[in-house]
Amino acid sequence: MQFTKDSFYMALQTRLAALNPQQTVTLSGATRPAVIVAENELVIPIVPLPNAFYIEWGAAQVAARQTGSRELMEMECVISYHTFGTVESGVDRGRTLAALDTELLTICQPQHTSKRDYTQAPSVDVGTNIVWTAPVLGKVAGSEAPPNQALPRGTEGVRLERVVSLKVLFFPEVTFL
Amino acid sequence: MSTLPVRAAMVPITRRMRAYFAPMNRTAGTPTIFDPGKYGMFPLDQPPAPWLDLGWIDNFQRFCLTVTEPLRAGAQGAPTAQFHKPLDARVEFDFREWGKLQMALAGGSEHMNVLASDPNANAQPSGGTPVAAVYALAGSTANLIVLGSGAVPGFSVGDLIAVDADYAQQIGYVGTGISAAYVSNPVNVNQDANYIRRVTFNLGRVAETTVTGLMLAQPLLGGAPAAGVGVQKVVAFVDREGGSFFQEWSALFVAEEESGGRVCFHYPRLSPTVSVQTSMRLSLTSQAGSAKAFQREEDVEVAAPIGALALRAAFQAMPHVDENDGQTVVCYRSYFPAAMAGVY
Repeated sequence: MQFTKDSFYMALQTRLAALNPQQTVTLSGATRPAVIVAENELVIPIVPLPNAFYIEWGAAQVAARQTGSRELMEMECVISYHTFGTVESGVDRGRTLAALDTELLTICQPQHTSKRDYTQAPSVDVGTNIVWTAPVLGKVAGSEAPPNQALPRGTEGVRLERVVSLKVLFFPEVTFL
Repeated sequence: MSTLPVRAAMVPITRRMRAYFAPMNRTAGTPTIFDPGKYGMFPLDQPPAPWLDLGWIDNFQRFCLTVTEPLRAGAQGAPTAQFHKPLDARVEFDFREWGKLQMALAGGSEHMNVLASDPNANAQPSGGTPVAAVYALAGSTANLIVLGSGAVPGFSVGDLIAVDADYAQQIGYVGTGISAAYVSNPVNVNQDANYIRRVTFNLGRVAETTVTGLMLAQPLLGGAPAAGVGVQKVVAFVDREGGSFFQEWSALFVAEEESGGRVCFHYPRLSPTVSVQTSMRLSLTSQAGSAKAFQREEDVEVAAPIGALALRAAFQAMPHVDENDGQTVVCYRSYFPAAMAGVY
């Protein structure tokens, strides 16, 4: 399962570096493409960085009607990101979020990558691909503004956030006898 | 009076069916026999030789199409005896895993290995003129093909290879270990020296190269190759709608024993056909268009539009004479009760 998580992360990170080399973050003193797996980072109470894609993993189960020595499994994945825009007034925050949407949709294509063992250097192809469903872009939510009942999504707030969900399909390393 | 405790549950519980096939000796017409007394409770991932594990299958259905007819007598026309009408049984299922054997069994006719083509060859749907074979040297085994240091660099780790003899214009079944096709006239196969390697089941995946040979990930089904057999790269498998050859294999299906009791279905001889629904309707109606077509593959939805392709397979059970009593039968169902289960 870890190979699947690592492979998905590496695919998105590599694709983002190729698509937009300027889209980086600095974490723990290192600058890298702005794709972050939250569970791999230091446990310190810091606010998530803007303009970065945060990957979080959810429930996993054998996919329905799948059988075989290697039963196909599916794992929920949530990718969240937010922005304040690129100018101090924040008036381009909607456009910046749309640009992030486009970037994410782009780096999710093609919707598969080879599953590799990244515990070794160089990584080793473990023989199958992982596949994922089309990303579902959730509602935009705004924050950091006084409540305004006329704008229930809070998009007048300076912070705009999107949560994207998808399922990653993979063959586990476990053989089902 | 006291009775020994017996297991109350006598219900075989299963969640999956596993398929094993073994080649028939087509020349002699003899099947591979599964003897439940010798092999019954074998570990499911270690079938006894020569049975080959073809993985878990889905939608397993057995059909008995043999009907009985009563013999009637007397004023009331009451049945006084019965007789069997023609013996007919079939089995259908979906292979969920794809491989050379699964495709060949589901396709039913000659199953082609697409040999790596000469770049200048004419295009052919089952592969054109191939790159010339190299030949195995003495000392090869089912897992190691000795080629000599000059030939090994032509292969890489991961290559699929076909290992079999050159076609020598013979008439009859061809293929080392498993009859892969029947040649009735050398002209039909263009007297092609590569023909046997185009259809053979004697295939391997190169796991490692040595200075002088190729180590295979799985042993060759035909066993250790003789010196002088040809080796060629295979890039794909092809089966075809049509073809005159009928695959014929021995089969064993095992219902995984979740509650302790195992059920096995042994068909000494199975030959591919189409589904019962299709053929029954065709025979019952004059219009073929009203029959439900036999679907070769099923798209098993995973998360739309993503789906897994399953190979639909249907077989006609062929007769076998049981040597114990001379009865002609087509299938054996065996049951291995769980320990301490009741007898009745």
